[in-house]
Amino acid sequence: MEPILNRRDLFKALTAAAFTTLQLPAAEPGAPLFFSKPEFALLDALTDLMIPTDDHSPGAREAGVAPFIDRTVAEAFLAQDKESWRKGLAAMNQFSQSSCQCPFMKATPQQQVEMLTKLAAKEKHPETEPEKFFTQLKETTAFAYYSSSIGIHQDINYKGNVLLEQFVGYDAT
Amino acid sequence: MLLQFPITNNPEVDLNTTYDAVIVGSGAAGGMAAHVLTAHGLKVLLLEAGKYQDTGKILHSMQWPYDHPRRGDMPPDYHALTNNEYTFRKAPYAQNSPYSKVTSYIQAWGFSDYSKTLVVDEKQNPYSGTRYAWVRARVVGGKTTIWGRLALRLSDYDFKAKDHDGYGENWPISYADLSPYYDKVDLYLGISGHPEGLPQMPDGKYQRPIKLTYSELHLRETLKGMDRMLTPYRAGVTTDGLKHNKYRSRCYGRGACDRHVGGCDIHAAFDSPTGLIRPAMDTGNLTLRPNSTVYEVTVDKDTGKATGVSFLDSETRKSYQAKAKTVLLAASTLESARLMLLSKSSLYPNGIGNSSEHVGHNFCEHVMGPSVAGIMKELVGKPRTLDDGRPGGFYIPRFRNVNTKQSDFIRGYGFEGGAGCGMIPGSAFTSPGFGEEYKKHVRDYAGATIEIGGFGEVLPRYENAMDIDPELKDTWGIPVLRFSYKFGENEMKMAKDMAVTGREMFEAAGFEVVSANDKVLPEGWSIHELGTARMGDNPKTSVLNQYEQSHDVKNLFVVDGSAFVNASCQNPTWTIMALCWRSCDYLADQLKKGEI
Repeated sequence: MEPILNRRDLFKALTAAAFTTLQLPAAEPGAPLFFSKPEFALLDALTDLMIPTDDHSPGAREAGVAPFIDRTVAEAFLAQDKESWRKGLAAMNQFSQSSCQCPFMKATPQQQVEMLTKLAAKEKHPETEPEKFFTQLKETTAFAYYSSSIGIHQDINYKGNVLLEQFVGYDAT
Repeated sequence: MLLQFPITNNPEVDLNTTYDAVIVGSGAAGGMAAHVLTAHGLKVLLLEAGKYQDTGKILHSMQWPYDHPRRGDMPPDYHALTNNEYTFRKAPYAQNSPYSKVTSYIQAWGFSDYSKTLVVDEKQNPYSGTRYAWVRARVVGGKTTIWGRLALRLSDYDFKAKDHDGYGENWPISYADLSPYYDKVDLYLGISGHPEGLPQMPDGKYQRPIKLTYSELHLRETLKGMDRMLTPYRAGVTTDGLKHNKYRSRCYGRGACDRHVGGCDIHAAFDSPTGLIRPAMDTGNLTLRPNSTVYEVTVDKDTGKATGVSFLDSETRKSYQAKAKTVLLAASTLESARLMLLSKSSLYPNGIGNSSEHVGHNFCEHVMGPSVAGIMKELVGKPRTLDDGRPGGFYIPRFRNVNTKQSDFIRGYGFEGGAGCGMIPGSAFTSPGFGEEYKKHVRDYAGATIEIGGFGEVLPRYENAMDIDPELKDTWGIPVLRFSYKFGENEMKMAKDMAVTGREMFEAAGFEVVSANDKVLPEGWSIHELGTARMGDNPKTSVLNQYEQSHDVKNLFVVDGSAFVNASCQNPTWTIMALCWRSCDYLADQLKKGEI
């Protein structure tokens, strides 16, 4: 069978032409490990727009998606796997500047949704930097959310990973 | 509580004794050889290049992803090769990689942190030549610690394939010769399956079968009208338990086998250490030495017989000799061929057992890639059910060139598949858009998905071959394999047909086809490598006789997938073990009669 998901690909550029590594910066207590505070705020807002709280279950913010991404990016081994995130967030702000004449966080909730809707329309075949970043952000957010306790238990209501006397299904007779 | 029998990494074994048999490799074949020969009362030395690792302790099959610091991922300085890297890089694939450890692609699957020490480091174990994704596990148990558990029988459509289409060679045995040995393997190791009476995929001695999900049962019913069959996954897993094996539990439907690579820490899924090696040790006849990298089969210049093997301690790199009356290679199809080619002497200038010049040739395996994903609409938005509490989904056996004849390709393919909601549903990565609508879509479609992927027979061809690279060596200074292998026209046509028939079956069942992919994955992806020392009656065109005994060297046996004459499209592990059992019965008998 095809793997359900190939998670390591989410964090790794496939071109991998030049190999360099970055040192992990010393973190202040409570501060994001990799992103600056404004970058982290943007990341957190974007993940929560991707998977918001609804009447069924809490969303990405409650599930700690942005801190998980921050930590994964901080620990990433290759410099390019860190920089793609920094550049991606910057590309979102540039996209917002050209669309709404302000950084993404200053745009109105309606403008933010309109911008993501435009990027989502190209998610199968992303071309521009913000389109590519949308795809990267969505895949990573999806993994981080649906592998969290909130995602598995409260949202999906997954029933497995328990000891079963016998699987309840249908007999092949 | 399962009995923990200590297998240690103690290197202090007796090397002054001449053993009845020395076995190289401890996977499905090596473990089976150890079991059968020790049961015959022979004194056996089992050498394994890797360490002993207790998968009962390291796999943590039921750990939730959020209880793992990286949600199950490997450390950041580890890297699993991607599909693309096998294409845009040239072998050796880990060359110049900045990562501390590089593994084959398999480590990108599921929650791979738990299996990271079972597979080899590509940096230490390079190879060269044409594109090939080579998955290797150097550990006591070999690839049985990570295998996919689909346990199928071959039939005379495979053993006598030449009689059906004129291509290649027949095996020197028929299904009737092997059938009693398949039965023994079924009963000794435990297998779950549902009998179907298919001539191309014979039934076994089954324990409680895996049940199907709603959509799988619907597809099974649909296929009945198309002269095709969907049967519950035939799993090398004991669903009822084994009274004679105190090291293995029965299956408790935890579903971990689809999340991890391998991943059964209670050993309900067969693995060689608990299924074969520990019971063999209990006879008092087995000596196991892990950390033993064999690099040569030694030869008596006067008699031409094998005298044993030379090996390095994998850690200290000190060289040792082991002496035995018989030598059994079970190091895997590619490693056993490498070892034969490396064992050159004045008597055997092309490598031991290679007077036919067929060692390393006729390589075959399975072609993979084409797959179809669909949705059963009645299940969209339905309340959640427990869908993955079983060791596998289903299998659709070969239907091409059985009762009918294709005009554009010979042989056939089967599909593996499954349906329903996993721990992290696939719909999280396929649902469109973002926001509340996306979130609801993921939820609604999580239990409605069904997927199949094809496995097709790659024809054996003499020119598909491996030899020894004249320059490149592994970490231990041992020359490595050089590949000269690629898929042919028959495989590519077969792969195209897989995508067509896959879609056709889903449409007939009324499933909405979400994706139908006809791209072929890199060579090696199936991890079903076979045929590098094929059996046959003619010593000029084959390496081994019907008992996997070298035509040239009577006390040398090659008991792994090397011996296959063709790949069939059915997964090979169960056949490797049935053949090995038969060969070892013969070996023990011949040794007692003084014929070897």
